Amino acid sequence: MPIITIENLKYKYPGTDRLVLDGISLSIEKGEFIGIVGQNGAGKSTLCQAIIGLVPQFYQGAYGGKVLVKERLADQVKVQEMCEDVGLIFQNPFNQLSGAKDTVYGEVAYGLQNLGIEREEMRSRIEKVLKQLDIWQYRDRNPFDLSGGQMQRVAIASMLVMQPEVMILDEPTSQLDPEGTEEVFRVVDRLSKTGKTIIMVEQKLEKMAKYCDRLILMHEGKVIDFDTPEKIFARDDLEELGVLPPAFVRICKMYGWSNPDGTYPTTLEDTVRLFEHQETLPDLSQNLRKEKKHISREQEEVFKTENLFFSYLKNIPVLENFNLSLDHRTTAIIGQNGAGKTTFVRLLKGLLKPVSGSIYFGREDISQKTVAMLAGKVGYVFQNPDDQIFKYHVIDEVMFGPLNIGMKPEKAEAEAKKALEMMGLSGKENENPYDLEIYERKMVAIASVIAMDTDVVILDEPTIAQDYPGKKRIGEMIRKLSGEGKLVIVILHDMDFVSEYFERVIVMAHGKILADGTSGEVFKMNEVLKEARLEKPYMTQLFERFVAE
Amino acid sequence: MKSISLYVDQGSWLNKMHPYTKLLYILTAIVIPLIGGEFVLFPIMIACSLFLLASGGILKRALPLVAFSFTLIVVIFLIQGLFNHSNETVLISIGVITFYKEGVLFAAKIGCNILNMLLSFGVFVLTTSPQELVDELEKSGFSPRFGYIINSVFQILPQMIATKDRITDAQRSRGMETEGNLFVRMKAFLPLISPVVMSSLINIRERAIALDVRGFGRKQKKTWLYDRPKYKWDPLIRIILVLLMSATIVWRVLLCR
Amino acid sequence: MGKIFKTKFTTATMVLIPVCIGINYLGKLFASLLKLPLWLDCIGTCIGACLGGPVIGGICGAANNLIFGLTTGDNITLIYALTSLGIGLAVGILARMGFMSSFLKSFVCAVGGGMAAVLISTPLNIMFWGGTTGNVWGDALFAATQASGMSVALGSFLDEIVVDVPDKILTIIIVYLILKGLPKKVSALYDENAQIERLD
Repeated sequence: MPIITIENLKYKYPGTDRLVLDGISLSIEKGEFIGIVGQNGAGKSTLCQAIIGLVPQFYQGAYGGKVLVKERLADQVKVQEMCEDVGLIFQNPFNQLSGAKDTVYGEVAYGLQNLGIEREEMRSRIEKVLKQLDIWQYRDRNPFDLSGGQMQRVAIASMLVMQPEVMILDEPTSQLDPEGTEEVFRVVDRLSKTGKTIIMVEQKLEKMAKYCDRLILMHEGKVIDFDTPEKIFARDDLEELGVLPPAFVRICKMYGWSNPDGTYPTTLEDTVRLFEHQETLPDLSQNLRKEKKHISREQEEVFKTENLFFSYLKNIPVLENFNLSLDHRTTAIIGQNGAGKTTFVRLLKGLLKPVSGSIYFGREDISQKTVAMLAGKVGYVFQNPDDQIFKYHVIDEVMFGPLNIGMKPEKAEAEAKKALEMMGLSGKENENPYDLEIYERKMVAIASVIAMDTDVVILDEPTIAQDYPGKKRIGEMIRKLSGEGKLVIVILHDMDFVSEYFERVIVMAHGKILADGTSGEVFKMNEVLKEARLEKPYMTQLFERFVAE
Repeated sequence: MKSISLYVDQGSWLNKMHPYTKLLYILTAIVIPLIGGEFVLFPIMIACSLFLLASGGILKRALPLVAFSFTLIVVIFLIQGLFNHSNETVLISIGVITFYKEGVLFAAKIGCNILNMLLSFGVFVLTTSPQELVDELEKSGFSPRFGYIINSVFQILPQMIATKDRITDAQRSRGMETEGNLFVRMKAFLPLISPVVMSSLINIRERAIALDVRGFGRKQKKTWLYDRPKYKWDPLIRIILVLLMSATIVWRVLLCR
Repeated sequence: MGKIFKTKFTTATMVLIPVCIGINYLGKLFASLLKLPLWLDCIGTCIGACLGGPVIGGICGAANNLIFGLTTGDNITLIYALTSLGIGLAVGILARMGFMSSFLKSFVCAVGGGMAAVLISTPLNIMFWGGTTGNVWGDALFAATQASGMSVALGSFLDEIVVDVPDKILTIIIVYLILKGLPKKVSALYDENAQIERLD
C-alpha cells in the first residue's frame, strides 16, 4: 500500500492560464527517499505543496485530480491536520521561523503546543530532536540570531518533532553557504537512515544521486520520468530539460564508459570503481582544465589597495594590512562567511570607508569618495534582490540606475533591454518584478546594474537559487562583460562554477588573502583550502583520485 | 539582535509579580487622582511609582521614558500659562510675556497626569516580558491567533529594521540621492520603503505556510511548556489595589453629596 | 454593508497584521532618516486596511499603538490607539467602496482617513493635554488661536487638521503607489471572494 498516491493531478495558480501541474500520476511507498529534479519553474515546489494540501487550500486557484496521503485527501483535510502526517521544509530558512518564539527551544515546541501534546512528552521529544540535529547547544539562543544553516536545522527540528511520517524538503540548501549546506546534508543523511519517507527537491544533483532511491524528473508541469538516479542521469535529453547531470556522469559519458546496464556511475566511489576496470586511462588533466593563456590584460591595474585597514568595532579588525591589486581578469573571491569578502568589495564600491590605508581606482585614491560619486563607475549587485526592487515593471526597475547616473532616457532604455536580454528576461519587460520568482528577480537585479554600463561590475553570490540554465547564463554574462573590457569581481560559494568561469581566484579567510592564482593553481593547494574550509570542485576531486593511484 | 522591548529580567520582585497585577496597578495609579479630584493625589501616586521603580532597581532605566515627554510638557506650560482662557492672576511678567497662575496650574495638572501615567506604565513595561504577557493572556482564554500578532511583532520588526541599511546601500549604489532639498528627499522615500514593504508582503506567504504546517490555528486546546512560578503576594496586592480604588470612589461619591 | 466588513481570518491575514505594524515603524524611520517634515507612521495600517478590509485595518491600527505603548514605554501612543483604529476602519471602508481604485479617487480615502484621525484625536488632545498635539507647527497654530481668544475645541481641531490631513494625504498617495505594484501572488491571498475551481 503506497503512502502517497497521486492521480491525474492538475493545478493552476489563481489569475493564471498555465497549468503548473499537468496530469501528474505517481505513487510513493513508505520509507522511500524520493528526489524531484528539473529546472526552475518545472513545478517541483508546487508538487511538494500539493502533497501537504497547501495547493489548493492555501493558494486557491483551479485544481483537478486527487492526492491521497495515508488514505486522506490532501485537498480536503485541513493543512493544520495534515501536518501530523507530512512535514514541509522550504528554501528560505528565515521565513520558516514562526516568529512567535524567542528561543530555539520555544520555537521547536511551537508546533507541539498547537497539537496539544502533553508537557513531559513535549520536553522529551524536543530534547531528542535537538540533540539528533546537533543544535541542542543553541536551545536558549534567539533563532533569528543563528546562521542560515543553523536556522534551517531548527526548521527541520520543528518539523521532525511533530513526528510526521513523510518529510518534504524543498531545496533546503539553495540559500545557504557551503558550510550551512554541509550541516543540512549531514542532517539529511541521518534522516535517510530513520526509515521516514522523504521527498527532496534539490539542484545539487551529486547529493541527490547519493541519497535517493528514485528520482522524479519534471518539466513544464509534467513528470517526464520516475526511476532510479542511474537511469534518470543516463538520459540523453537532460540538458534540454535544464538539468546538468552530476560531474561523474558527465565524465563517464565523455569517455563513453558505462555500467553493464548502460547507466553511468553517479557517485565518486562508483566512478573510481568503474575507472579501475578500464584498461587504458586517458590523460585526464588535459580535459579537465584547459588553462587559458592570458593576453597582456594583466598589466593594466584597475584597483589597488595599500595597507588597507577596516573594522566595524574597535579592536576587532575585519581587514588588516590588506594589499591587493586587481586587473582586468575575471576575479572570483571565495572563502567562508566572515572571511571579509563582502567587506572588501563594499570598500571598493565606496559603501564603507577604510579606517586607514588607500584604495586606488585607476590613479585616483577613492578611499574618501562617496557612493554617489562612484555610481557611474562601479556597479554592485547585492545578494538579495528584494532589497532594491521597487518599480512596477521590470524595464523601469532596470532603467532606474542608468537614469540616476544621468543617462539619456533612450540610451537607458536601450541599455536596459540589452541587459535584460543578456539575463534571459526578454519578453518580461512589462511584468511586475515581484510576480517573478526569486531566481528571476535575481536576474532583474543583475540586469539593473549591468545596464548602468559601469567599468567595474561586482556581484555578491549571484548563483544562489539558480538552476543549471541560470548559472550558465550568469557565466556567459561574466565572459561577455569581461570581453567588453570590464572588470568583473564575483563573490562565490559554488566551486564548480568558479573553476569553470574565472581567470583569477582569490581565497580569503579571517580578513587575509590565503591564495591568489588561476583556479587550477588554487584548487591544488590543499592546506589553503583546508584553512579556508572550502571544498574542491567535483572535477578536481575526481582528477586527484587518479593522480593518487 | 536588538530587542525593541525595554524589558530586562533582573529577578526583582516586580519581575516575579504577575503581569495582571502590574496592569491593575497602572489602572489604580491613573484612576485614583482622576476620580479623587484632589491635586495632591498626583504627587502621591507619582511618588508611589517612583518608589516601586526604585525597589525594582530600575529607576535609572525609567528616566528616558520621562525625558521623552519633556518637550510636550514644556509646550503645554507655555501655551496654557500664556493663553489659557481662565487666565486672570499674573504669576510673573518677563517683558511683554506674562504667565498667569490659572494656566500654569492647569498645565501642572496635565503635566502631573502625564508623568503619573508614564511612570506607572514604566513599572509594567520595564519588568514584563512581552512573551510572558502573551502566554498569560492565552492561558486566560485570549485567542492564540491574536497572541501570535503580539509575539511576532517583536521577532519580525528587528528583521525589518535590519533591512534599512541594506536597502539604503542598494539604492545609493544605483546612484540615488538621499540628501539634498526636500523634493530630492521626498523622491527617495518610495525607493526606500517599497522594497521592504514588497518583500515583507511576499514573505507573508511563506511565513503563513510555515505556521499552517505547524498546526497554527487548530481548534484544539494548546499546551504549555512552562507554568508561571506563582508569586505569593499577588493576591494580596490585587486586593489592596482594588480596595484603594473602591475607597477613592466611595470617598468621591460621599463628597459629592 | 455586510460585504464591506467581510473579513477572512486566515493565517495569511494574521501574519499580515504584524508586518503592517512593522511597515508603520519603518515608514516613520525612513521619514526621519530623510528628515521629512511628516510622520508617515500609518502606511502599514492603511495597507492592512486596503488588503484585509476595515476590520483588519482597525486591528492593525489599534494593535500597533497598544503593542508599542505597552512595551516600548511610549505610552502616549497608547492613548491614540483609538485614533489609529479609526484611521484603519475609515480607510478600509473607503477602500472597499472603491476609493482606492484610481489616483484621484484615493484623495477621498486620504481625506476620509485624515478626518477620522482629526475627529478622534481632538477630544483626546483636549482631555489629556489641554489641546496641544506635540507637533511644532500645529501647536504654534494652536497657540495663535488661543491668543486670539478662539475656543479650545476649535483651536485644537485646527491644530489637528494642520498636522494630520497633509500627513494622511501623503500616506495614502504612498500606499496607492505601493499597492498599484502589488504582485498578483500577494493580492490573491487577500481576495475575499476567492474559491477553488475544479478542473475535473
